[in-house]
Amino acid sequence: CDIPISSRQAFPLPSLPRKQPTVLVVCGPAQNGAIGLVCARHLRIFDYEPTIFYPKRSPDPLYRDFTTQCEKMDIPFLSYLPTEVQLINDAYNAVVDAVLGAEGEAGEGREPCAAILATLKHVRIPIVSLDVPSGWDAEAGGSGGLSPDVLVSLSAPKQCARRFLGRQHFVAGRFLPYDVQKKFELNPPEYPGTECVVALRAPR
Amino acid sequence: QEEAQAIDQELFTEYKFSVDQLMELAGLSCATAIAKAYPPSSFTTSRPAVLVVCGPGNNGGGGLVCARHLKMFGYEPTVYYPKRPNKPLFEGLTTQCQKMDIPFLPEFPAEAALIDELYGLVVDAIFGFSFKGAVREPFGSILGTLERTTVPIASIDIPSGWDVEKGKADGLQPDMLISLTAPKKAAMHFTGRYHYLGGRFVPAALQEKYALNLPPYPETDCVLQLT
Repeated sequence: CDIPISSRQAFPLPSLPRKQPTVLVVCGPAQNGAIGLVCARHLRIFDYEPTIFYPKRSPDPLYRDFTTQCEKMDIPFLSYLPTEVQLINDAYNAVVDAVLGAEGEAGEGREPCAAILATLKHVRIPIVSLDVPSGWDAEAGGSGGLSPDVLVSLSAPKQCARRFLGRQHFVAGRFLPYDVQKKFELNPPEYPGTECVVALRAPR
Repeated sequence: QEEAQAIDQELFTEYKFSVDQLMELAGLSCATAIAKAYPPSSFTTSRPAVLVVCGPGNNGGGGLVCARHLKMFGYEPTVYYPKRPNKPLFEGLTTQCQKMDIPFLPEFPAEAALIDELYGLVVDAIFGFSFKGAVREPFGSILGTLERTTVPIASIDIPSGWDVEKGKADGLQPDMLISLTAPKKAAMHFTGRYHYLGGRFVPAALQEKYALNLPPYPETDCVLQLT
């Protein structure tokens, strides 16, 4: 459960264009989606107004509890994702993409992920992707996939992060023991002070 | 004390939080508060060595989490954990610390002076808000020694040995108190330098229900300095 603790801190506190600090959190069926649920809960604690779209719910009891926690905190769950992109642009300040992560995304071609991604590709509000922009291959990156504004790499950037062209790239998930870091030659950046999120320098 | 227990109960039964989740967030708050009040550069010992004394329950579990995060923050924690519950949660937390090369002392330093020499700070994670009644060994002697140390003590939630509501005038006098979720009544008797609030996970609805009147946390911080 450590990953989510960091994810929520990656959200900068920009001056949001809309009066209400609304954020749409789109959660896929597996772990990436579960992280999105935890992220939504912390956003609520930070006084944002998250709304969740979680069409395919995992049967995992841990993830079901995450859902309950969100529901009990009055975070609304959409019953469908508008295909009319303008509705999303108008209602929310940003979208959190917690649809698919790095775990071998056979899910990409399957519904409902394919339809979700097709819609998200056309939103004009910023997208924040958790770990891997959904639909991207974790190593090769994506062509014609999502172009997120912000990427939050969990634990360490994945190979595909080299192709990230958005505004801000954060690393979060400050829990890797040193011997694990060394063993996998991760060389994560230094986290400042007690922060659990660190901004990476822009590429190039 | 009953209110604190009631809030906890609601978090677990209504909101379906797991003990692991809340303990992790609580332990992280403690480490964060400690790092703010006692940055590694402020230590007079040659290394930022911290002794974390963990009791037999959830307060001790929070101490284990705290120790692990202190290590990530660049401190050198050492744990003393004499009474370990036979539950996977605590066994897991212990393993995580051990795998991160956090030493576990086989016995408690015999003299207060030894603690003063070796460590720049002691974290008191012995007893929490469920504590009632008499202090059982080995914690009686441990508290006796801690009462004689001169290095600062940071207590998690309740200074150990204190009555959860009335305090204990001749008991431990910690320099720092990290109240979790909301300050307990005993906090009124706290006279140390630093009082922090941690455990930023209480939903607004619960805060209202129990009229907690918590001041707002700054931005995305997981701790709030009260004094």
